[in-house]
Amino acid sequence: MSDDPLLSPRAKAGRAPDVFAPGGWIPMHAYREDEAVDFVIVGTGAGGGTLACKLAEAGFSVVAMDAGPYFRPLEDFASDESEQTKLYWTDDRIVDGENPLQMGSNNSGKAVGGSTVHFAMVSLRFRPEWFRSRTLLGYGADWPLDWREMWRYYAKVEQALKIAGPVTYPWGPPRPRYPYRAHEMNAAALALARGCEAMGIGWTETPLATLSAPRGRAHPCVYRGFCTTGCSTNAKQSALVTWIPRAIAAGAEIRDLAMVGRVEVNDAGRATGVHYHREGGWRFQKARNVVVAGYAIETPRLLLNSATSRFPDGLANSSGLVGKNLMAQSNQAVWGISKDEIRSYKGPPSLAITEHWNYDDNKDFFGGYSYMSQGPLPQLWANTQMSARGLWGDSLMAEMERYNHVVGLKIVGEMLPQESNRVTLADAKDQYGLPIARITYSWSENDRALIDHSLRFMARALEAIDAREIWTQDDDTCHLNGTARMGGDPRTSVVDADCRSWDIRNLWICDGSVFPTVGGVNPSLTIQAIACRTGDRIKALAALGDL
Amino acid sequence: MPDRFPGYDVLSKRWTPSWNQKTREVINRRLALTNEPRYLTAEEFALVTVIAARIVPQPGHRPPVPVAALIDHQLDRDQGDGYRHAGMPPLQEAWRQGLRALNAEAQAAHEAPFDQLRTADQDALLTQMQEGKLKDAAWGGMSSATFFKQRLAHDIVHAYYAHPTAWNEIGWGGPASPRGYVRMDANERDPWEAAEVKDGDVEAARRKNRHVG
Amino acid sequence: MRTAIDKTMQNQLVAIAAQLDVLEKGLSQHFPRREPTVRAARRLNGASGILSMSVLADSGIEHYRGSFENKAMFTPLVMSALSLAVSAHGTADSRPDAHRIRDAVYAAAALTGVVGTGFHVYNVLKRPGRLSWQNLFYGAPLGAPMAILLSGLLGVYSERLRDDRGASPTVFGLPAGRTLAALTGAGLLGTAGEAGLLHFRGAYHNPFMYAPVTIPPVAAGLLGAAAAGFSGRTRWLTRWWLRLTALLGFAGAGFHAYGVSRNMGGWRNWRQTVLNGPPLPAPPSFTGLALAGLAALGLLEDHTDA
Repeated sequence: MSDDPLLSPRAKAGRAPDVFAPGGWIPMHAYREDEAVDFVIVGTGAGGGTLACKLAEAGFSVVAMDAGPYFRPLEDFASDESEQTKLYWTDDRIVDGENPLQMGSNNSGKAVGGSTVHFAMVSLRFRPEWFRSRTLLGYGADWPLDWREMWRYYAKVEQALKIAGPVTYPWGPPRPRYPYRAHEMNAAALALARGCEAMGIGWTETPLATLSAPRGRAHPCVYRGFCTTGCSTNAKQSALVTWIPRAIAAGAEIRDLAMVGRVEVNDAGRATGVHYHREGGWRFQKARNVVVAGYAIETPRLLLNSATSRFPDGLANSSGLVGKNLMAQSNQAVWGISKDEIRSYKGPPSLAITEHWNYDDNKDFFGGYSYMSQGPLPQLWANTQMSARGLWGDSLMAEMERYNHVVGLKIVGEMLPQESNRVTLADAKDQYGLPIARITYSWSENDRALIDHSLRFMARALEAIDAREIWTQDDDTCHLNGTARMGGDPRTSVVDADCRSWDIRNLWICDGSVFPTVGGVNPSLTIQAIACRTGDRIKALAALGDL
Repeated sequence: MPDRFPGYDVLSKRWTPSWNQKTREVINRRLALTNEPRYLTAEEFALVTVIAARIVPQPGHRPPVPVAALIDHQLDRDQGDGYRHAGMPPLQEAWRQGLRALNAEAQAAHEAPFDQLRTADQDALLTQMQEGKLKDAAWGGMSSATFFKQRLAHDIVHAYYAHPTAWNEIGWGGPASPRGYVRMDANERDPWEAAEVKDGDVEAARRKNRHVG
Repeated sequence: MRTAIDKTMQNQLVAIAAQLDVLEKGLSQHFPRREPTVRAARRLNGASGILSMSVLADSGIEHYRGSFENKAMFTPLVMSALSLAVSAHGTADSRPDAHRIRDAVYAAAALTGVVGTGFHVYNVLKRPGRLSWQNLFYGAPLGAPMAILLSGLLGVYSERLRDDRGASPTVFGLPAGRTLAALTGAGLLGTAGEAGLLHFRGAYHNPFMYAPVTIPPVAAGLLGAAAAGFSGRTRWLTRWWLRLTALLGFAGAGFHAYGVSRNMGGWRNWRQTVLNGPPLPAPPSFTGLALAGLAALGLLEDHTDA
């Protein structure tokens, strides 16, 4: 049998890979397919991995499936951009609309641990007002969640991931001290700080899910700078090295290289399990509850692909909103050349941040943005020069020679929900014979206004620190949310505050799909907070006999 | 162009703690790629070589990067990006069709295949492609601008900067695990990083780069 | 694994304690005819030497990390090396007179500490965020040059002690034992503060990291009590607590060696982990200061009004 985790599953026969030891194993419970487990979870990223842990620790029987491989980072991860594309979801998808999204790399993961295996570890809280943006700020939709409750869950996740953050955070209501101290800022982060000071706005060290001190068997960060291509030292507190080992220790089973193609629903309108593809064939796992946690593209795709005669428009879709209101986040940047050697490839890419424009409402558009320092690796940087700036030939080569002097600022900006931005099914099929996703995306006027504001502001911040030859990269987006929004009304939402679908009460959705709005911060901490809350709610509902 | 990082060779770190075993395997495999087509035909392979020389012109004094072989390898493994624009065929088909269309454009404009044109004419055609001005029927439903940005130049640039020679040119530290970096502030250099020529002192930089390891 | 390490460390600590005891007794027995004041002076030379050694290694590593960007960064290496040399000389020298070269080196070392603090403050203040936690953690360490200042001061003090011809030793007109106790106590507090800052940076992820912020301050308190003349009955406790503090310095180096191994790549990746891991030479500062405290205690015992 091959030991290539991309070719044959590792988590089987009562054991799973030990992510902390090359070649190591840990014991894992194995459930039978023909006996219903309490929960089968589709996806093991920030949503599914976290929820698997919480449910298993609450005593439920849990099987969590992931279409991707089960890596041991210490032995499987190379320091190489090309090789590490193995972490991405590179199955075919079609993009269209006025502003087609770039998929496959920064916003899609295919591995046990999901996108958290290659995320930039930026762990931010939503601004409290965003949970009621419609009522308080006049745009988007209100969340059915109270910000104080969410802030309690944020604190729990920060503790669980040993987030390394500043001693005091400059924006928003007081929060508890981060469990670990902030990392040393690199030259790129110091440039951000100098720019902010010149512009008279606040900045701080970015709260990051990578260790600044040892933890258990995980080493502190060595500042190798390959974060978004996978952390080979386990400093990164991904779901793969945090929630999932905990879930297995609590009795959950993880199945890798297990692609779920269809959620089965019986005549009574209840989910009964999932059909999944593993080791060359289709199989069926019985379950009393099904949780879909495939992120904002694969979640609606699975729900749409699971249509039956009773649910012809796909599961949980009586509102017609499954797949709609897809929200990326704007990820525009301003770049310049410094006379200093910046060498931004050293350290995590975003070591410093300003959330000023998330908390300042004196602006001519809805929503907010944060911006962070950047550290692109060579392939990404060369392609940015080619695609965003149009450089090739001698001009590209000359520009690349100045790689070590590049300094840049990049936003994570709020994009507003629009029903026309959506995931549908295309005619083409993937390697499992399942219709692939078509992703349609166009920016709104407000999205453009936010981007323009950010680019103007960041350009001034770069000028203020004497960067030269400043140019703007205006085509990038990051993160994906929406497509199965939560709400208080079955007519205008797909799931309730507990991530439970209105239509099929034993079908749950627990990932970034449930976001009614995205805010101007990276979503992973919020996804994990929602998953923790959902775990607690399921436990409470079970105690009431309401599952 | 004068060498900005004289004597720097990222491969000199191959046996240091900067490279883990997995990285050595991956880079060794890449360096062992032979310049023979596996997926592309010999003509297509030659054409890719010519195009790559325009997109990423290589300086003569470093070991050459086998861009066409890297692209061929990608095509052989059918390694897509995880998305394609509506109207764009899948990876392999897009490349075949795009190369055919480029030669058709060259024939139409200069009555010769692309690889026989003067470099100025090649560059002019590539610029027209980048701007979406090429509309020969051979493109099928594919936009020439999208093919340039999402496929042709995209894959060539990725192939070139996957190679240690390219890393040396830009003074990047290269693979880094388990050893990462210590000195984080501006103008601070770890002894295992590339030294740039400062104030025209090539020898000083070369001396430092000789000790990179 | 963990318990095995603890066990080994325990055995090492016991062994070091025994050696310290021998060292202390050896120093006092080797020249039994000499005046107690000279004995105290020589013990101070020894204490200064240990501090110098710690500074030599620590500034060597840290300034190497800083690539000796400023040539002035060599100064603490040169001065601590000289200070180490004259301390060795002083420890072996039982003549009751101050030595001009030793004296000059010690004074220059103390001055280096003052100037170095100035440099470090400047370095921190020019970074964005000024006196922020980020810069206190990762900028030039503000407290570090204090160690060479203390080493110089202890040396100067030792030389003054040798000069003293009175029935009860005084230095600069102040009772020697009490002043030294106070000085040492302050040094212990400052060094504990530095450890506290850096261990806070490490989020006290290991409970042993609380040791240097608890044991030395108690020692400082006991020394303060001795300086104030309160400690007649608890002097045995002060002595033992100072010995414990001296041990802590050695044990800390051991813990830090373990800490280095806990970083990615361990000792094999020493070019990174020695720099990014916990500083190996820092904890022995406690040993140097504790030995100075023991010298002060000796002075107080030999001359109750010192």
